[in-house]
Amino acid sequence: MDNEVPLPPPRRIRHRSPAAHGASTGSGTKTSTSSLRKSRRLSRFDDRSSQPSSDPALFSSDDIPASGLENYHAPVTVGGNGSRKRRYRGTWWGEQVVDPNKRKRAEFKEKRYVDSGVWMGSDESSNAESLMLSSEGDAPGCWGEDLLKTALESRLNGRNQSQTQLRGHGPMPIRAANAAAGAFKAHEESAEHRYAKEVVNDCLEKGNDSVDLGNLHMRSIPSGLLRPLQHLTKLPSVNEAPVSENVFTSLQPFLRIFLSNNSLLELHTELFELIGLKVLSLRNNKLSEIPPTISRLTALQDLNVSVNRLSHLPWELLWLVLQGELKHLIVRPNSFVSIEEAQIAEWHSRSEGKEDDDEEPHNPLQLRENNEGITPAEAWAPIHVATGPTIQLNMEGKPMPDCWITTLATTTTTTNSSNSPSLREVALRAVAKLPALDQVSPADLAEYPALVIPLLQRAKEVRASGGRVCSVCKGDFVIPRSEWVEWWDCTPHENGLKRPRASAEMMRPLPFRRVGCSWACVPDGARSG
Amino acid sequence: MAEQSEYVTLVSYDGFEYILPRSAACISGTIRRMLDPSSKFSEALTGRCVLENMTGIVLEKVCEYFLYNEKHKDQTNVPDMEIPPELCLELLMAADYLDT
Repeated sequence: MDNEVPLPPPRRIRHRSPAAHGASTGSGTKTSTSSLRKSRRLSRFDDRSSQPSSDPALFSSDDIPASGLENYHAPVTVGGNGSRKRRYRGTWWGEQVVDPNKRKRAEFKEKRYVDSGVWMGSDESSNAESLMLSSEGDAPGCWGEDLLKTALESRLNGRNQSQTQLRGHGPMPIRAANAAAGAFKAHEESAEHRYAKEVVNDCLEKGNDSVDLGNLHMRSIPSGLLRPLQHLTKLPSVNEAPVSENVFTSLQPFLRIFLSNNSLLELHTELFELIGLKVLSLRNNKLSEIPPTISRLTALQDLNVSVNRLSHLPWELLWLVLQGELKHLIVRPNSFVSIEEAQIAEWHSRSEGKEDDDEEPHNPLQLRENNEGITPAEAWAPIHVATGPTIQLNMEGKPMPDCWITTLATTTTTTNSSNSPSLREVALRAVAKLPALDQVSPADLAEYPALVIPLLQRAKEVRASGGRVCSVCKGDFVIPRSEWVEWWDCTPHENGLKRPRASAEMMRPLPFRRVGCSWACVPDGARSG
Repeated sequence: MAEQSEYVTLVSYDGFEYILPRSAACISGTIRRMLDPSSKFSEALTGRCVLENMTGIVLEKVCEYFLYNEKHKDQTNVPDMEIPPELCLELLMAADYLDT
């Protein structure tokens, strides 16, 4: 065995030996004192007989990559650093590494900082705490700091990422992060937000699935307020010994959120992350738009958006009525566009073929009289009454100068009705999928070329709202290219499905705004014609 | 005027040349106007467009987009085009210049 590494000579335990001691004194004063001290120290062990009398044995370390008897001496290549098994001499409690090219302990210690994946209750890390709200009133500052810490961490992590991913566009300034952090700290939590937090906290604590945040005069929903509600669990109501039948209720929360009588101007996207939300009231606020993201609330059964400033409803809401669970829709009063004043490109009539042409012009808003009674579909389901004109939007999402095209007069060039997205759109879709986009602050954004800033802003908004889906082709998109208004009558749903439509009833259609991702994604009539 | 060639050449700032069908390149409004035979631009006569503000890497992606657009013009379910993140911003700028 040529490659066998020769063992170092066994180290001798220096027993108390007056002879050696005497010899060393002759060499010099300094060395003599040190060796004297050493020998004294060792001799103390001897006296307590903790050191074995025989020669110390050799042990090998239990390094994991170097397991196996056969490579006891062979250099280990699997581990990558080619280290041999370490050998220890002496007792296991007084371990001393004999290997001359031993690794430093410091390195080993550094490695220990790697997250073990085990979370201890006493851990300092605040990730778990930030999921729960701070307990009432005692430390709103703490809550803010937690958020700040996590936000900062993610910001810093993301910063490195974004620097690598958006390389070649100048270094991102660190001061932006600091400035943002300062702004966060400076932002004082208003009294109503604090109260709202207490309410949410109380509901979480007691397992109350009806969250009443009404009459708080909130102007906005603070971020992080509603997110914990998706983990709300109801508590079983067993209090006293005789268990009656009615304690066996479902523990599935029937989540209801009442944000009525506030001053909300817009909705936080967090609201639409509560997938299990069943009842949502936004009555008497100052909303001018319901984001299309509402389509994510597929379990929603009851929605109240009355007394707001809405001129349109998102088409996605209609999708919730048609495909989802939404049964009770209270939308009036609102400042909706009235169908009498709006431009209508096409009227849709359900009862086809029966009527004669020479009849007097029928009011499209009135259901036809029918002797056999109306079909269930006509009585209950939403009815598509009319479609407004399609507005084509240019590549930056602004209306085209000659935009009011009517149904059949679609533009002639092939590129216009193409399904394929513009290069801008293609690039923006890619941008919107970048994880680094969340970390780009407005200050960073200002450093980009002025041309792309509004586009990036849009991509950011779309990403924040969880992506937009074309209502026609179901593809993701960033910039809408066409939009139109569809008028649907949802009277039964407005009544909470208590009463079907009567024959010859006047319909009161609602405007639903629908957007498409390309000029080919237009209303059915326009496309087929 | 001589008959127009079916292919045009796009040249990047650093000298890379891409030859692609005229119809595909004319998706871009800027290139369409460059190649317009009535304009008597030198590009229209030679069928060769030098794009001074694009590097070869960006122009390659742009050409890929032209062909992608040409291919999926009449399809309903258009798959997304792969774009490396570091090219996103430059492509946005290029899109603005090329008017596509």
